[in-house]
Amino acid sequence: MTFVWTEKELSAEQSDAVREERSIFLVACPGSGKTRTLTYKIAYELSRLDSNRKFVVALTYTHRAADEIHERIEGLGVDTSQLWIGTIHSFCLEWILKPYAIYEPAIAHGFRIIDSHEQEKLLEELCRTQRGITYWDCDYYFTDQGYVLGCRDQSKHARLQAIFALYFQQLADNRQIDFELILYYASRLIRSQPQIAKVLANIFQWVLIDEYQDTKRIQYEIVAAIVRAGAERTQLFVVGDPNQAIFGSLGGFAMSVTELQRLCGVPIKDRALTENYRSTDRLIRYFSNFTVQATVIHGAGPDRAFSSTISYNTVVGRDEVEAELVRIIRLSAAQGVRPEQICVLAPWWILLAGVTRRLAGALPEFHFDGPGMVPFSRDQENFWYRLSRIALTQASPDQHVRRMRWANEVIRDLGNEGLNARGMTAKQLLRESNSVLLAETDGLQYLRLYFDALMVRLGIDWQSHRLLNEHHRAFFDSSAAKVERLRREGSSYIGEIDFFRKVFQHRSGITVNTIHGVKGAEFDVVIAFGLLQGMVPHFSEEDEADGGVTSAKKLLYVVGSRARKHLYLISEQQRRRGGGRGAYPSTEILAEYVFDYDAV
Amino acid sequence: MHISKLTLVNYRNFANATLRFKQGVNTIIGENGAGKSNVLRAIRLMLDDSMVRASYRLDESDFYRGLGSWRGHWIIISVEFDEVSADEAMQALFVHGTGVGQAGGVVACATYNLIFRPNKQIRMNLAALQNGDMAGMNAILDRITIDDYETLFTGKSTADFSDQAVYQRIVGDFDNALFSSEVEFLELGARIPGTLSVAKEVSFTFIQALRDVVSEFHSNRTNPLLTLLKSKSGQIDPLQFQPIVERARQLNTEIERLQDVQTVRSDIVQTIHGAAGQTYSPALLSIKSDLPDEADLLFQSLKLFVGEFDTEYEGSIHELSLGGANLIFLTLKLLEFKYQHERQPLANFLLIEEPEAHLHTHVQKTLFDRIGYAQAQIIYSTHSSHISEVCNIKSVNILGRTGNKCEAFQPSASLEPEQIGNVQRYLDAVRSNLLFAKSVLLVEGDAEEILIPLMVKQVLGVSLDELGISLINIGSTGFSNVSVLFHDERIRRRCSIITDLDAAFMDPNPLPEDDAETVAFKGKLLRAQVSGAARRVTLDAEAAVNAWVRPFFAAHTFEVDFVAAGNVEKVVSSVNAVYSQAATQALSTAQLRSGDPAQYGRRVLTMANHEGKGWFAIRLGKLVDHRTVIPSYIRQAIVFAHGSFSTQLIFNILKHRVAVNNPAGSVVPPALQTFWERLMQYHAGAIDFHTIRAEAAIGLPNDQILPFLSDLP
Repeated sequence: MTFVWTEKELSAEQSDAVREERSIFLVACPGSGKTRTLTYKIAYELSRLDSNRKFVVALTYTHRAADEIHERIEGLGVDTSQLWIGTIHSFCLEWILKPYAIYEPAIAHGFRIIDSHEQEKLLEELCRTQRGITYWDCDYYFTDQGYVLGCRDQSKHARLQAIFALYFQQLADNRQIDFELILYYASRLIRSQPQIAKVLANIFQWVLIDEYQDTKRIQYEIVAAIVRAGAERTQLFVVGDPNQAIFGSLGGFAMSVTELQRLCGVPIKDRALTENYRSTDRLIRYFSNFTVQATVIHGAGPDRAFSSTISYNTVVGRDEVEAELVRIIRLSAAQGVRPEQICVLAPWWILLAGVTRRLAGALPEFHFDGPGMVPFSRDQENFWYRLSRIALTQASPDQHVRRMRWANEVIRDLGNEGLNARGMTAKQLLRESNSVLLAETDGLQYLRLYFDALMVRLGIDWQSHRLLNEHHRAFFDSSAAKVERLRREGSSYIGEIDFFRKVFQHRSGITVNTIHGVKGAEFDVVIAFGLLQGMVPHFSEEDEADGGVTSAKKLLYVVGSRARKHLYLISEQQRRRGGGRGAYPSTEILAEYVFDYDAV
Repeated sequence: MHISKLTLVNYRNFANATLRFKQGVNTIIGENGAGKSNVLRAIRLMLDDSMVRASYRLDESDFYRGLGSWRGHWIIISVEFDEVSADEAMQALFVHGTGVGQAGGVVACATYNLIFRPNKQIRMNLAALQNGDMAGMNAILDRITIDDYETLFTGKSTADFSDQAVYQRIVGDFDNALFSSEVEFLELGARIPGTLSVAKEVSFTFIQALRDVVSEFHSNRTNPLLTLLKSKSGQIDPLQFQPIVERARQLNTEIERLQDVQTVRSDIVQTIHGAAGQTYSPALLSIKSDLPDEADLLFQSLKLFVGEFDTEYEGSIHELSLGGANLIFLTLKLLEFKYQHERQPLANFLLIEEPEAHLHTHVQKTLFDRIGYAQAQIIYSTHSSHISEVCNIKSVNILGRTGNKCEAFQPSASLEPEQIGNVQRYLDAVRSNLLFAKSVLLVEGDAEEILIPLMVKQVLGVSLDELGISLINIGSTGFSNVSVLFHDERIRRRCSIITDLDAAFMDPNPLPEDDAETVAFKGKLLRAQVSGAARRVTLDAEAAVNAWVRPFFAAHTFEVDFVAAGNVEKVVSSVNAVYSQAATQALSTAQLRSGDPAQYGRRVLTMANHEGKGWFAIRLGKLVDHRTVIPSYIRQAIVFAHGSFSTQLIFNILKHRVAVNNPAGSVVPPALQTFWERLMQYHAGAIDFHTIRAEAAIGLPNDQILPFLSDLP
């Protein structure tokens, strides 16, 4: 039966987008119900599949988003057995590398994906071979032409190239690939083996891309090759907001609909979601100033007329920032805003390090969800990370569906490793897991003991498996490093098992995050500091033709559009730049923007 | 899409066998125990949805027994599909999992493999061994249990698993403890993705050997009628069915209301109360009529009634003749297949095991002439030579057993269409068990066909059947049309061709004094001699490049060589029966005894032609006994065809010779007695063949078994 919905569930423009039969390019303004539209579109197309050999594929920016959408669709009562949803990396791995690796000599004999921690360690080690290069210079991504260095300092490129030559060699010697290489080999396979795109196009009825503005060229090309091979039988649904394209340094960019059409060789309808249900009119008016691509935004939320407070503080000194944050949080709480509806933002992690801890100290009545609040490695492809999700959640009715899915993933991983998973079901795995009872209070030690105990119960000798061994080492090394760093910063409680468990609980505290990290989220109150020229925009972007104005606008647009009700902006003084170059000035375009700010 | 190839490595009674299939109807023929059921089982493990679970439960008994120890070895069952295409949407998921990509992005074939192998741990341990470390290898192998094995399904593989070198490279060389340091091999292909279940993609129907059809009909699970009805009952119009349901309910009520029913009920209640007392009796008790009122259940109460042939009476299945029940069963299964077929799966497979069991020959022939659905591949196994005649030689696989080892042959592999046509026509015309034979003697006429089996039985004491030799009368000298079947690439069985060289036994050049009849006779001899010599050249040339076929020539003609071999008196004994006139009888006897080929040769041929060669052979056959001498070329043909002779067989033959040489009623000659004792020792394995062969010359002096023994390798 075809999936249906009521007028209350979707607005007219959302419904139109969902019902569109052909490929569609949907520019969604902030707060326009993008995820909701995507979710309903998937549910609708799943219900319309006329063959059990067809699939709907959805590509999300994060695993978390994929999980969330997956759960929502299941919540809508639609069968998801013919849905594949995940990141583009997982997609390439599952649908291209695993089945077709045998046609790519470099990975034909098997390969292992190294996680970000291992990659960091390896690059750090290689950086020592070149003077003046650190791991932070080592961003890179692939295009079909080869790899592109993220580092904007051209003078370092020769040395970086020497490092990367060694890096790729070492990975090849160990039959390892990193996340960028997943895309690289997937793209190579798609080009060298034309049947792959053809076959996948025949399997996929719809391919949906979320957050297209952060998609890299190589990713567009992989997807486009499949859509092109489908010759209008495989439909494409692209959704995102070009104004929020803030991952340019990683190669992400908002492709125009014309270029995408040319790449895919099929007509794609250009549509927009223009109704903002999130922010008040005052907020919309405020952040609309920062658009880089002219977009229509209509306030449509029930509280649009609410009189928002928008403040801009340029007088507070660096050392007083935290006191100011405490003041605003208290103020918001007094206004009746719930803690999980408050968000503290800054452009860089380094500004936030320690902030969470100090805020937690100053505001003991609140919980915080921020950097260093995840005390262990979160590498999604790591087997032990996947298992830790089961280890750190309790058997409870509201967690059951997720835990079953995680358990199935673990069983599939074991099967892929050729480990004797004879007849083991998700239920059995969870039952065995539930009967592991440990008194250990140290989080990492707990996980270590739990893993051992569970593996014994399952009769799996994981130590003799190279991959599981490597994953185990990687997981614990990087987790230990993380815990150690957080402890150094003073969060002694961070290593406790109770703290570990919070990671997989539903969010309950005040969010502390970077601007990049709150993509897609929304809060009643958004407080942003560190809005300084050199950070917003990043100093490396100041070398661009426009002096980084575009980048700064996009970041401010993202900050502004997160808020439902109140927005507090801070360009603090006296934050010192390195090399004795004085303090950072306020972000220029922000300082220049004339607005009737409120005083708080 | 259809199965084009099936490879079995180390599975049950196959060490390594490859079967090839064509679109349409295919036959697997073979004697009992040749592995027909195992081939079908292997296909089912991969493609039959109801059997897939079993593939995860392979165990020790599934390994080829000839391996000795199974530990460390792999079982590989590999299916190759043809006519797949990446362009077809319907096949996409299938191609995604199994399609083999070729240059230019073409996908034309797909592979699907079931691999049962030691888990990665064991494989890594083996890979880590130094080359030649037998002790290390054995230490690993000894500890392996079947729980250390895993089942793996892969697609896209390019390896030819039937190639011993490939197997050794991937699995290892256990004789020399050589193992690759790799544990992953791209030739094995890619693991089948979880999104694809090949068994669910295809429609697959298996019809078991019809052994106990009546009980199949009685079981709810196996009754084919129920399956058919179930597949239809989902489509019943509820409106149409509602009145029936109403009536069923009404009937139930009416039955329950019957006076007798009510009386019985109240009697039961009273008796219980009387026996157990009020306290311990059930509170409620009623008798209900249980006529089902749901479509599914009502349908299940339907039964098939059949009136056999032209009788007026329609009986239920168990009243039918066994043959009739089988026919009905088969028909229903075929209909089931047809229903499935209509649901448009990727491919349709129908496997039929030994349809001949209990089916009348004519029914079989008709049935298999007519079975054949477009777009469906049908594979049936048979040991019936009747069905094998109906089938096309191009789509035949022959299974043959040698000891414990079974092999698969494709009789038409690499043959030219014309050659296939010849063989096909021959097989169609002559009901022969040629394809089932363990080894073959091809002869050119009735005389050989009649006399050779008799001579072998009388002289060697074992029949051709016991020797596993099939004697095939080609009825002409067109041996090559049939012997072409026996070849390294086709049927790997030995084939001896017994033919006449037709060299003239007298000067074939006409002399002035020759009468007209002699001149004609000589002309015939000359022509035969020329064509015989030419035949020899052809057959020798063919044998030179084919180790499985060898020709054996009578110097002249069978009858003439029969006499020359030392059987003059046998023919003489038949003279009086052939000729009635005393003068002719005397002349014939004298000529036969003359020792001059020109005289006895012409006479024996005259007699044979006079009687007809076949009738003459039958006449001679009555006279054949253990003293009849087997002409040497026939003897050698038998030795070649049979191949190696076992100790038991040689013992049986020599025992027979001892028995026939033992003069009845008188004292056993001491030499024979000694030989007999030595023969017992040979049988027990105390002395070898060469010794017993040497001693036979003393124990059985001048016996015709001596040249036979010296022919043995």
